[in-house]
Amino acid sequence: MVQGVSDVAIVGLRILLSFYGIFIVYQCYASMRRHKRAEKPLVMLYNRRFDIKIPVLFWENSIGRARGCDITIEDPSVSRNHCVLLRRKAGWFVSDTGSKSGTKVNGKEISGRTQVFINDVITIAGTSLVMLRGEDYDEDIRPSWFFSKTSRKASVPSPVLLILVNLFHLFMTTEICITTNSLNLNALTIFAMITVFSWVLYLFSAGVFGRKNFELEALALWLTGLGSLLLVQQDMGDAFVQVVSAIAGAILYMAILMFIKNPDRVIKWRWAIMIAAVGFLAVNLIFGTIEYGAANRIYIGGISVQPSEIVKIAYIFVGAASLDYLQTRRNFLEFIIFSALCVGALALMGDFGTALIFFVTFIVISITRSGDYKTVILALAGAAFAVLLVLNFKPYIAERFSIWGHALDDPFDLGYQQAGTLTSIASGGLFGTGAGSGNLRYYGASETDLVFGIVSEELGFIIALTIAVAIMGLVFYARAITTRSRSTFYSISACCAATLLLVQMSLNIFGCTDILPLTGVTLPFVSAGGSSMLSCWGLLAFIKAADERTYKANP
Amino acid sequence: MKKTLSRSIISLILAAAFLLGLGFLCVKYIIDSDMWASQSYNPYMVSGQGLSNAGDVLDRNGVVLATSKDGERLYNENENTRKALLHTVGDGSYNIATAVETAYRDRISGHSKIFGYGLPQSLKGKNNLTLTLDSDVCTEVYEAFDGRKGACFVYNYKTGEILCMVSTPTYDPSNIPETLEDGSYLNNCISSTYTPGSIYKIITAAAGLEYIENYEDMTFTCEGEKQIGNYEVTCLEEHGTLDLKNAFAYSCNIAFGDTALKAGRENMQKVSDKAGITKSFRIGEVFTAQGHFDLKNADDISTAWSGIGQYTDTVCPAQMAILCGAIAQGGETRLPHYVKGENSGKSGRLFSENTANKLDELMRYTISDYYGDSMFEGLTVCAKTGTAEVGEGKLPNGWMVGYSKDEDAPLAFAVVVEEGDYGFYSAGPIARIAMLGSAEALRNN
Repeated sequence: MVQGVSDVAIVGLRILLSFYGIFIVYQCYASMRRHKRAEKPLVMLYNRRFDIKIPVLFWENSIGRARGCDITIEDPSVSRNHCVLLRRKAGWFVSDTGSKSGTKVNGKEISGRTQVFINDVITIAGTSLVMLRGEDYDEDIRPSWFFSKTSRKASVPSPVLLILVNLFHLFMTTEICITTNSLNLNALTIFAMITVFSWVLYLFSAGVFGRKNFELEALALWLTGLGSLLLVQQDMGDAFVQVVSAIAGAILYMAILMFIKNPDRVIKWRWAIMIAAVGFLAVNLIFGTIEYGAANRIYIGGISVQPSEIVKIAYIFVGAASLDYLQTRRNFLEFIIFSALCVGALALMGDFGTALIFFVTFIVISITRSGDYKTVILALAGAAFAVLLVLNFKPYIAERFSIWGHALDDPFDLGYQQAGTLTSIASGGLFGTGAGSGNLRYYGASETDLVFGIVSEELGFIIALTIAVAIMGLVFYARAITTRSRSTFYSISACCAATLLLVQMSLNIFGCTDILPLTGVTLPFVSAGGSSMLSCWGLLAFIKAADERTYKANP
Repeated sequence: MKKTLSRSIISLILAAAFLLGLGFLCVKYIIDSDMWASQSYNPYMVSGQGLSNAGDVLDRNGVVLATSKDGERLYNENENTRKALLHTVGDGSYNIATAVETAYRDRISGHSKIFGYGLPQSLKGKNNLTLTLDSDVCTEVYEAFDGRKGACFVYNYKTGEILCMVSTPTYDPSNIPETLEDGSYLNNCISSTYTPGSIYKIITAAAGLEYIENYEDMTFTCEGEKQIGNYEVTCLEEHGTLDLKNAFAYSCNIAFGDTALKAGRENMQKVSDKAGITKSFRIGEVFTAQGHFDLKNADDISTAWSGIGQYTDTVCPAQMAILCGAIAQGGETRLPHYVKGENSGKSGRLFSENTANKLDELMRYTISDYYGDSMFEGLTVCAKTGTAEVGEGKLPNGWMVGYSKDEDAPLAFAVVVEEGDYGFYSAGPIARIAMLGSAEALRNN
């Protein structure tokens, strides 16, 4: 009888945990959607001659004759992409982006960024516009669907959200104690570390930087804690490294946020970042040691580092830029060369999973910044050719392809990892067999490549899917805030960072479940691995930066 | 900014592709998760939470053949019953492909799509499986084999229920010997093929009936042997002049060697293929072995011998029983199964109705006028025996296949005894025990 009651309680806890996970993710995104934006435009341009009021909605606005411009001027003397009106900390600027007939402020021809004040007249070829205050605009602006349910109050105050996350981890720790039938000190230690870490991060974010919103961080903390606690029963040392890496990641996160506070500064550092990234990969190529078939690690003072993970951050830096920069420099040959170097170096290391992530990210960045489909098609053709070469010269890669789609036919050799993952997913059912109880963790490299299966087995398929949806949600969020960012640098980098995480997750989840060939990449925030954790937090900074509230508004 | 927004739709496209993949994974989970879970390497199946906690296996009368208690797999208390049903029930490993512990492991292991293997024992329902077999009949049949190797298969051709399925060599699942006899894991009824010998004359007769004019009215002259080219076909006796009925009952080799030659290679192949000799039939979750009949490179003497069930001919016992079940019902039958409530579907047409009815007459005459109905007291049986030469200095395999015509006991059977010599003397008594026992089991229900 007592046994029966406690069994019901254990199963009840698992079911509760599954739906609680959904609740947390829902709350994070619900909070993100609540945030209100001003109903009035930032400023307004007034065409006196025709009495047209043009609302200026964005921090960076392209002005020109082309339909795709943020502000379209129907005047044949205006160039297609004439100039850019942008807002910076110091105020509003206008920058001519190579127009035929030039741009004037108060009658004076400009070159480079020129500051404009309220009541100044911007003359664009034959059209003169007066800059007026946004409050003078008398029509409503419709928000995008993502922000259709705005409200002055956050749906959950950040500290409450954090407590929700902490509670989830506490339940998981309890489950581990039940599974191991003891007061599991390892699990309690990790839980304590994660909890303290999350509050310190919150206090920094709210106290030092004055940021009210904490949903992205809460989401990342939820995933980080979940992954670390799953590691406790697998390898306590790894679990410890995982939390420490997350702390380092959070520091990197803060540092990146500070560094990119001024998007124009990043442009100046582009070359330095590119050279450092390529150098880092070169060091890897020379000193890399082969592990699991890929030489993608180096040891620095006994610590294993995967340079490719860190280079992901550099890649986003280099890929994005502010609008006036993009409009004056259409050609992005240097970025293509940089991409080719990165992908090539990764392919040489044998890390084809990461090479693929970089390649897809390259496509996404290229399209987002230039809309240049010709380059993309060319790149795809080149990539197809490269894949054929690889399959020809690296037969073990072809071997991986050979088992793709029917791993269960060879569960003891080629399909070993995928078959084990599928079996574990099925064994765990929707609610799992309990944290710390699974069998998949005894598989080689399961804590990185097969972690989706571990989550599914121990915490259930529902939580595994919730994690997938939570990370995918970053893409929707990043896209929803695109036009609210303070610069296209932020919008592009946020979209691309979120997409990079999505692509990485796709390769991880579909690789271990035999829907795609297994490439051995990590599940963001959840898979074991210090470098991976560091890079995930670093990439998150770009998404955070795209939110206009991240940096305190200037007066 | 607007351009960035519209171009960033590429991210949404990738997200949509990801969602599609996730949906695909969910569909795969719904369809395949039982199969994923029931892989033999799954620790949940092998260790404490698998078979050792699996449901009971019961025979048609509720006799417990296997059960789980305190994390241990236990089998019936009678050793002979355990051995008789080894290939149907299993031995706790996954070595026997036809055993329900292997083929139906997802059903008895208690895997659920909702809870996986995650439910504690106290909350798990029982996942019992009831067989269609009668364990008493199987035990008797096993004892009748008396250490000889072979197979005995009986099923109700109207419902498809298998009543008796015994394969030897076998072993005791409660006390697995360290060294097993070769072929111990094989369920010879379903997974093995044997040289058919004279039982193949059923198919040769079918070819004659379909492709030789006035075949029924033909007479055959048997002088004990017949020259074909440089070789000869031999008969066990000098039968003299025989009509078809008696040629079939006396199992005259000369007559059926002749029939095969007259019908021709192509027609023999056609009839064999249609009768399902070269096919694999579904039996619940498993499939029968395919027999072999191939006259592509056969000369005349080989064709003649193939009509007598020698040459390279092989058949699977379950196939032969299915074929007999089809003859009993005018050429088509329901396929057998051994787990209650299953449905294996239908065999398709194996013989034309006319041919089936004529074969029925021949097989009936063999029992009524040649062997005598006393052999199967209380049943109206049609059958054919066979004595198949296997060479290598071994005694021939003894065969008997057939069916009963009784409304309340519609049973088809196939029995083979390796090195049993004359089919009538080796397979006959086992067929008798299996048929009388199975008929009783049906009539008592």
